[in-house]
Amino acid sequence: MKKILVAILFLAPMALLGQITINRSVPPPPGPAKTIEIGKTENFTLNNGLQVIVVRNTKLPRVSVSLTVNRDPLLEGNKAGLTSMAGQLLRSGTTTMNKAALDDAIDFLGGNIYATSTSIGGSSLSSNFKKLFALMADIVFHPSFPNDQLEKIKKQELSGLAQSKEDPNSIAGNVVSKLLYGSNHPYGEIETDSTVKNVTADDIKKYFATYWKPNISYLVFVGDITKDEAKDLAETYFGKWERGDVPKMTYPMPKNPEKPIIAIVDRPVSVQSVINFVQTEPLKPGEPDVIPVRIMNDILGGGSSARLFMNLREKHGFTYGAYSSVNPDKLIGSFNAEASVRNEKTDSAVGEFLKEFERIRTNEVSNEELELSKNTLSGAFARSLENPATVANFALNEAIYHLPSDYYQNYLKNIAAVNAATVMQMAQKYIQPQHMYTVIVGNAKQIVNGLEKYGTIQYYNAEGNPVAAPVVKKADANVSGKSIIEKAAAAMGNAALANMKDLEIKGNAAAMGQSLQFVQKFLFPGYFEQTLSIQGMMLQKQLIKDGNYSVTAQGQNQPLKDDDKEEMDEQGSMLPEAYYLSKPGYVFTVKDIEPVDGKDAYAVEIKSPRGRIVTNYYDVNSGLKLKSVSEKDAGPAGKMVIQTYYHDYKAYNGLMIPMKTVVDQGRLKIELNVDEVKVNQGLKAADFN
Amino acid sequence: MKKTFVTAVILLLFSQLRAQERKIEFDEYKLPNGLTVILHRDKTAPVVAVGVLYHVGSKNELPGRTGFAHFFEHLMFEGSDNIKRGEFMKYISNAGGTNNANTTQDRTYYYEVLPANQLQLALWLESERMMHAKIEQVGVNTQREVVKEEKRTRIDNQPYGSIIGEIFKRAFKVHPYKYQPIGSMDDLNAAKLDEFIQFYKTFYVPNNAVLSIAGDIDIPETKKLIEAYFGPIPKGTAPIPRPNITEPPLGGEVRDVIEDNIQLPAVIEAYRAPKQGTKDYYAFNVLSTILSGGNSAQLNKVIVDQKQLAVATGAFNYALEDAGLFIIYSIANAGIQPQVLEKNMDSVVNALKTGLVSEHEFQKVKNQINTQFVTRNSTMQGIAESLANYQVYFGDANLINTEIKKLDDVTREDVLAVAKKYLVKDNRVVLYYVPKGTKSQYLKK
Repeated sequence: MKKILVAILFLAPMALLGQITINRSVPPPPGPAKTIEIGKTENFTLNNGLQVIVVRNTKLPRVSVSLTVNRDPLLEGNKAGLTSMAGQLLRSGTTTMNKAALDDAIDFLGGNIYATSTSIGGSSLSSNFKKLFALMADIVFHPSFPNDQLEKIKKQELSGLAQSKEDPNSIAGNVVSKLLYGSNHPYGEIETDSTVKNVTADDIKKYFATYWKPNISYLVFVGDITKDEAKDLAETYFGKWERGDVPKMTYPMPKNPEKPIIAIVDRPVSVQSVINFVQTEPLKPGEPDVIPVRIMNDILGGGSSARLFMNLREKHGFTYGAYSSVNPDKLIGSFNAEASVRNEKTDSAVGEFLKEFERIRTNEVSNEELELSKNTLSGAFARSLENPATVANFALNEAIYHLPSDYYQNYLKNIAAVNAATVMQMAQKYIQPQHMYTVIVGNAKQIVNGLEKYGTIQYYNAEGNPVAAPVVKKADANVSGKSIIEKAAAAMGNAALANMKDLEIKGNAAAMGQSLQFVQKFLFPGYFEQTLSIQGMMLQKQLIKDGNYSVTAQGQNQPLKDDDKEEMDEQGSMLPEAYYLSKPGYVFTVKDIEPVDGKDAYAVEIKSPRGRIVTNYYDVNSGLKLKSVSEKDAGPAGKMVIQTYYHDYKAYNGLMIPMKTVVDQGRLKIELNVDEVKVNQGLKAADFN
Repeated sequence: MKKTFVTAVILLLFSQLRAQERKIEFDEYKLPNGLTVILHRDKTAPVVAVGVLYHVGSKNELPGRTGFAHFFEHLMFEGSDNIKRGEFMKYISNAGGTNNANTTQDRTYYYEVLPANQLQLALWLESERMMHAKIEQVGVNTQREVVKEEKRTRIDNQPYGSIIGEIFKRAFKVHPYKYQPIGSMDDLNAAKLDEFIQFYKTFYVPNNAVLSIAGDIDIPETKKLIEAYFGPIPKGTAPIPRPNITEPPLGGEVRDVIEDNIQLPAVIEAYRAPKQGTKDYYAFNVLSTILSGGNSAQLNKVIVDQKQLAVATGAFNYALEDAGLFIIYSIANAGIQPQVLEKNMDSVVNALKTGLVSEHEFQKVKNQINTQFVTRNSTMQGIAESLANYQVYFGDANLINTEIKKLDDVTREDVLAVAKKYLVKDNRVVLYYVPKGTKSQYLKK
C-alpha cells in the first residue's frame, strides 16, 4: 500500500498523454542523436587540372560559386601588402567594363561578386547564374587592373596602417609575428608604408599571371545546379585556362625559444598592458589531435565560461576578457593566449595565465567542463550544416589538406571520444610555457618589476627589432623640483611676460582628417579666452573674465568644478610654471631623467593645491618644457593618458612659444600649429566674451 | 509570332513548376487552448528552430506604461516554476544551441535553434515560460537596469540612434506607434509588479501565440510532444486588447532640427505610407529598391557617387500592422549643408513622380527583389519566424510561398502612382540631425 502511494506521488507532476509522458519538473533528456548526414559532393577534374566540386542543394533556387587558388604562402619582401590589395584591384574592372559598368551588370543580375588574392566568387538566383558566372570568368581572364583604382586602394591601405601604428594590439600582432616566424617567413612579414607604396599595377598583374593556374585551383559550386550544368559551365569558361608550373615555396621551420622569453615593447602612453603568450605548434588541419586540442582550448580559454575568463576577469578583475586559441595551419600552427590588463596587474596576470597553463597540463578537467565543451562543439557542428556551403567547405578542406574522406563524417564521433585524460595529454603536448614568448606591449618602466621571475626579459621596438632597455637616469642630488621649475620659468620668458599687456595666438589643429582653428587671447592679468572652431562653427570656448569662469561646448554651458577652474587659471597665466611659483600649495617632486625626442629631460611631478597631478619634462640643458603627461578618466576603459609634446620654441618679445604642439591620447593624435602671434595689440576687456 | 507565344507558355509552365518545387510545406493547426501551431519539416540538416510569436508589441501598451512588451523580452528569460533564475540560457548552450528574441511595435518573437534531438528541451523551455514564467520583483529590478543599459547603448549613446523614435513621435499623434518598443524608462520605473503580472496574464497566453517549428522533426511525434507540453496551459481569460485607432492624415509638413552627438549632419524624410500587405505597400517595396537597392540604385548613384554630397544614403519601407512610414535618409559629407542634401534627395524622389522608370532599371530591381525573397528563407530559424509572422499578420502562413507574386505584379505605373499619391510634402516629416550646439543655425531660415 505504501509503495503504491509513493508511486502515485511520484507520478503526480507527470502528464500522461498517448505514449508521451513528460515531467515538467526536470529538463527533458535529449532524444537519440540524429545521424549527421553530410550532403554529398560530386567531384571531377578538367583536363587542365582544375578540380571541380559540386554540392547540389535545391532547397533554394540559388547558386553560389567560388574559385580558390591553393598556392603556397608567399614572401612579399619590399612589396608586402601586394596580396592584401590584389583581390580588390582584380574586381575593379575588365577590358570591356569599367568598375561602374561592372557593378551595374552584377546588380542587374541581383547577384554579387567578390575577389581576394587567392579566390573569387559570387552568387545569384539559379536563373541568372550563367550570366553571373560569365561575368566572374571575364574578371578572371580579362582584368584591366586600372591604375586609378589601385591608387584609391593604396590610400585605404595606408590609412589602415596609419591607424594601426598607434594601436597596441596591432603592435603586439606585428611583434608576435616577427618573433615567432622571423622576417624571412611569410607569416613574419610586416607591411609598412613603403612596402605598400612599392606595389604597382604591373606587380599585381604579374602576380595573377604567375599564381592563378587551373592545376592548383578548385572551383566549387553550391546550390541549385546539377553536376552536368556545372561541368558545362566549368568547361566553357575555364576549360581553356592553361595549366602551368607554379613556384613551390619552402621556408625554414620556425623554432620556439629554448627558454621562456618576456618580450616587452615599451609604450609609455599605455595604461593597459597587452599580453600575448605565443608559440608555434606542429599542428596541421585535419590531424587527429585537432579535435581534442580544440576541446582542451575551449576549456582553457575558448570563451566567457572558460577558465582564463573566469580567473582573470570574474575572479580577479584584471581585465575585460582573457582568451586562448590553438590554430592549426598547413605550414606551421600556433598557440596564443591573450588579455589586456591594467598596468599594475601585469605581473599578477602573467602569473595567473601560467597557473592556468600548469593546471590544465597537470590535472584532469572536470566532467562538467568536458561535457559543456563537447556539447557546444557538437551543437555548433550540427547547426553549421544548415548552410550548404559548409558541406562544400568540408570537401574543399578534404582536398586541400588531404584529409581522409570520412573526416567530417566522423567528426562528432571523434568529439564524443575525447576524455579528460586526452585533454590533459593535449595540454602537455601543445602548451609548453618553457618554450613560449610572452609579448607585452605596455609602459615598460611601470610593469617590468615582478616580470623577471617568469622569464628572460628582452626589449623590442614596434617593428619587432631588439632594442636596449629603457634607461633610468637619476637627477643630481643638488637639483630640486623647485629649482627645475624656476629654471623653466626663466627659460620660457617669465621676465618678459611681466612686461606684456596682451597676447593673441592663432593656429590650426589637425585631427582625424579634420582641420580645426584655435585662438588664444590673453589680457594680463586675469583675462583669458580660448576658442576651438571648425569651418567657422564654434566647437568649444573657455573664458575667464572678471573672476568668472565658463566653458561652452557646442553651444552649451558646461558645469565647472573647482579643479577645472584651477586648470584654467594655470593655462590663462600663459606660463603655468610662473603660476605654480606664484601660488602657495604646489608641490614639485623630481622623478628621474628621461630622454624626450633625444634630449635628456627632468621628469617633475607637479601636484596642485587641489591635488591634480601632472608630470612635466624639462630639458636638462635649456630648461624648456618638452613634454607633459596627465591622466584623465575615460569611463569603463579606465584611465586615459594624455601626452603633450612641445616643439620649435620661438621668442616673441622674449616670451618662448612652441610653434608646434602634439597632443597624443593613444589612438587620437592632434597636431597644433601656430600661424600667428600678436603681442600688445591693445586688447581690451570687451574683447573677451 | 506563334513561336514566341509557345516559348512564353513553356517558360510560364517552367516557372510554375520551379515555384512549386521550392514550396515550403507546412502543417498548421490549433490546440483547444487556442495556440496556433505551424510545423515545417526539413531534414537537410539535423537542426531544429523553435519559435514562439506572441501577438503583443508596443502598440498594445497603455499610455504611461510603455516599454512593457520589450521588457518581457528580458523578463521571459528569468525562469519559471521549474526553471531556476539564470538557468534558462544555460540549458540551451549546454545543449549546443543558440537563442534570442526580438520585439516590434506589433509582436514579440522568441526562438531557439538546437540540434534536432533537443526539440523536447526547447518545447519544455517555451511551454514553461508560457505556462508560469516567474514574474518577480527581483527579476523586474534586475532587468530594469539591463534595459536601461540597453537603451543607453543602443539609442542614447548611438550616433543617430534616436532617429526612429523622433520620427515616429512626429508622424503619429494619436496611434500608439508614436511610442517606440524600448519605451520610457520613467514608465518602467513607475510600473508595479502587479501590472507586469497582469500584462503577462493578458498577452502571454496560448490564444495569443503561434508556436512555429522548422527543421528535422518527425511531425506526428512533434504533435504529441506539443500536446503534452502546451496542451495543459490554460487559455487566457481576459479579452486581448488591440488598439483600433485610425491615425488622421498628417495635415501638413512637419519639420524639426535635432541635436545629437554627431559630426556629420543627416537629413531624414519620412512619408506616411500604406500599412503592410496592401497593394500600395508592395508597390512601395519596389519603389524603395529603385531608390536604394545596391550600388547602382538612384539615391546612391546621384547623392553619393555623382554629386558626392553624402557618405551614406538609403530608403526603406517601415510598414507595420496598422500603418507605415517610408523613410529616406542621407548622412552628409563634411562641409555639405543639410539644405543642399534635402534639395537633392527631393529631386531624386521627384523624378519618380514625373515619369516611369526605365524598363532596364525596373527589371534590375525586380531581379534584386526576387533574389532577396529567396535568400530570406535560407535558415530554419528564418523560415519559422516568417511562417509565424505571416500567420499573425495576415492569417495566411502560405504567403511565405506566394508573397513574391504580389511583388511581381507591381508595374511601373503602380510605382508612379504611389509616388504621386504618397511622396508629397504635406504627408511627410523632415528632420535635420545636426551636431550639438548648431541647432540655431538651421532654425532661423
